[in-house]
Amino acid sequence: MSVPESPAQRGFRLSVVGSVLFSLLAIASILWAFTPSYRSVRLGRADAGYLESGDCRKCHESNYATWHSTFHRTMTRDASAETMLGDFEHDNVLTYEGIRAEMVHEGGRYWMKLTGADGKKQTLELVRSVGSRRIQQYLTKDGDRWMRLPVAYDLVQHRWMHLNGSFFHADGGAYTQHVAEWNANCVFCHNVKAQPGFDWNKKTWNTEVAELGIACGACHGPTGEHAQRALSPLTRYRWHLHDKSAPLIAVTNPARLDSDRSAMVCGHCHGQRLPDPTDRIRPILSNGDPYDAGENLRKFYKPIQQDSHVGSYDFATRFWADGSPRLTAYEYQGLTRSACFTGGKPGARITCTSCHEMHGGDPRGQLTAAMKTNAACLQCHQQFAAPAQLIAHTKHGSSSTGSLCYNCHMPRIVCGVMSAHRTHDIEIPRPEETVRFNKPNACNQCHVDWSVNRTVAETKRLWPKTFDASQPGGSKFDEPEGSRALFAGDAVLRALTAAMIPANDTTAPLLLEGLQDRYPIVRYFAANALAGEYPTLPKPDYLATDSEREKTLQSWYPHWSPAALQQAQQTRLRLSADRVEVDVEVGE
Amino acid sequence: MRPASAHIASLIRQAWLSLALWISFGLLIEGLIGYRIPALLDDPMRRDLFRLAHAHGTLLNLLLIAAAICARLRMIYLRPWASWALRTAVVLLPVGFLLAGIWHYQDDPGLGIWLVPVGALLLLLSAFDLALSVRRFAR
Repeated sequence: MSVPESPAQRGFRLSVVGSVLFSLLAIASILWAFTPSYRSVRLGRADAGYLESGDCRKCHESNYATWHSTFHRTMTRDASAETMLGDFEHDNVLTYEGIRAEMVHEGGRYWMKLTGADGKKQTLELVRSVGSRRIQQYLTKDGDRWMRLPVAYDLVQHRWMHLNGSFFHADGGAYTQHVAEWNANCVFCHNVKAQPGFDWNKKTWNTEVAELGIACGACHGPTGEHAQRALSPLTRYRWHLHDKSAPLIAVTNPARLDSDRSAMVCGHCHGQRLPDPTDRIRPILSNGDPYDAGENLRKFYKPIQQDSHVGSYDFATRFWADGSPRLTAYEYQGLTRSACFTGGKPGARITCTSCHEMHGGDPRGQLTAAMKTNAACLQCHQQFAAPAQLIAHTKHGSSSTGSLCYNCHMPRIVCGVMSAHRTHDIEIPRPEETVRFNKPNACNQCHVDWSVNRTVAETKRLWPKTFDASQPGGSKFDEPEGSRALFAGDAVLRALTAAMIPANDTTAPLLLEGLQDRYPIVRYFAANALAGEYPTLPKPDYLATDSEREKTLQSWYPHWSPAALQQAQQTRLRLSADRVEVDVEVGE
Repeated sequence: MRPASAHIASLIRQAWLSLALWISFGLLIEGLIGYRIPALLDDPMRRDLFRLAHAHGTLLNLLLIAAAICARLRMIYLRPWASWALRTAVVLLPVGFLLAGIWHYQDDPGLGIWLVPVGALLLLLSAFDLALSVRRFAR
């Protein structure tokens, strides 16, 4: 039998319950008052809902940390002691084409002081930097325009350079030919959700971005709604227990998109593109980039291909004659041409994240240690896992560089930012493509002393089924390919060849002849190869005048026989006689 | 032994046993740190949650001992349900942190964390009950 509760007991119970409820109410009020609102971030703008990386960090600390270590993060930064990586104090003068550029740090600000051949001076403040891995470029502000300047800092060779040294233009062009408006160009891919804000009537800019550099929003799109929902722990645990790709999570995760959409996230920048239709450029320059990660990129853009053109301007020189990209920032075009992609099931085939890791691995290439090995290809091609099978396939020793899948199927035939890069057009190495398309082939990238015709013959002998129909080329392809490509090719092929030829006592005379090239980028690779192998000799300055460089080379020549040097010179003169020089634009 | 004394003895037994366990857990944490065990060192969330488990496990059981002593000295009136709430809370709170740290999501504690608010609510209820019981004793 229950004892009736006395008034005192009831009062006591009510006091306890009341106190608890009051405490809970107070806690709830404080939480409500301090809960941030993400849903209305940048409302009314093209980048509505785009959060900055600091907001994402509040929940995703480990992903923030892995992103923070990438070169994506440091792509565009305002000038500061931390971000300005050039040498502004010691080796801070570059004279090129008669113009002297001195880069200084004065009064807590950064300056580029230009003195023309006529003595005319111009001082520009460097207010923003672009790049942090291979080269760092600098922007100055001119009214509402951000201008990319012609002098940059080479972070690999630790020296100042003119952008002619990075692009495919010969000496003698206008000093300012690489000055460009950041608002209309670089802004799109080096930041999150660019909005150039161009007023077509007033011809003015009001450029904004969601975040400087390539941050969370570039790959995950607008995340305001996601962050708002994620404020509730109940919601978060519901997500943990359910399908991570469900729309309720309200965020794009490239790892959970279908493979084609996932590739588009990277292809948005790693696949130069044109607005589709072309006159969409007008609203893009006014209102901003319409693409959000996860959407169908093709809805807004078409990737630039060999046959693309805008009016009379075409892009053919950016591709090898077979249509395979030969410049960086066309990786998407390469991937989507490759058999790994075209032979796969749409939506469930190779994509960028099949090999690349955006939150881990080596920031230089965004690859884990495993993905730098054959493990990348073995994900699908398990039949080559055993050494015996690998040897039978490659005809090279299992630990030879000739048995690294990448070297044959993704050779370094793409050039950009002063490096030779692996093509993303994953292909069967076909030496005859050098004959047909003047495109470097994987075999001759190592066997530089073989002629292409010899390589064609060898491939027919070793892989008769695959190469039975291969045809050799004319007599010029009887030349060792290292020499032929170094002197007879166009600037891109010559640069790539200079980058790939290992310097040694046999090749050094050829590389010394490479330093006579009119294109600084070719001389850059030749000088680096020689200096790497012969560090005790003075390094030729690839941007110096011909006479200054020749002075340096005088101390190199005695190390080789006059006959070897003369033969190399004759080879250069003979092979370069018929070549056609074409400058190659690299920008969008 | 009177029933009330038996109850208080049971409280104290639970508290000391739990204290021994959570002190042992503290030693384990020290060992994991001392021997640089990656499972703890490389996992900041696990480190935080284990620290919380250890801190709550030890301090709350000291609190339980204090509550038992106060009850024994008749400074407070430990009603059966408040006693149950207190005893349950001192188990749920640290165990919740521990489980949430052993297995957790990348950016959120594991599901064990849901034991924590339940334990906190019970602790809050018992704390108010004990606080108000002091006034009742005084009367």
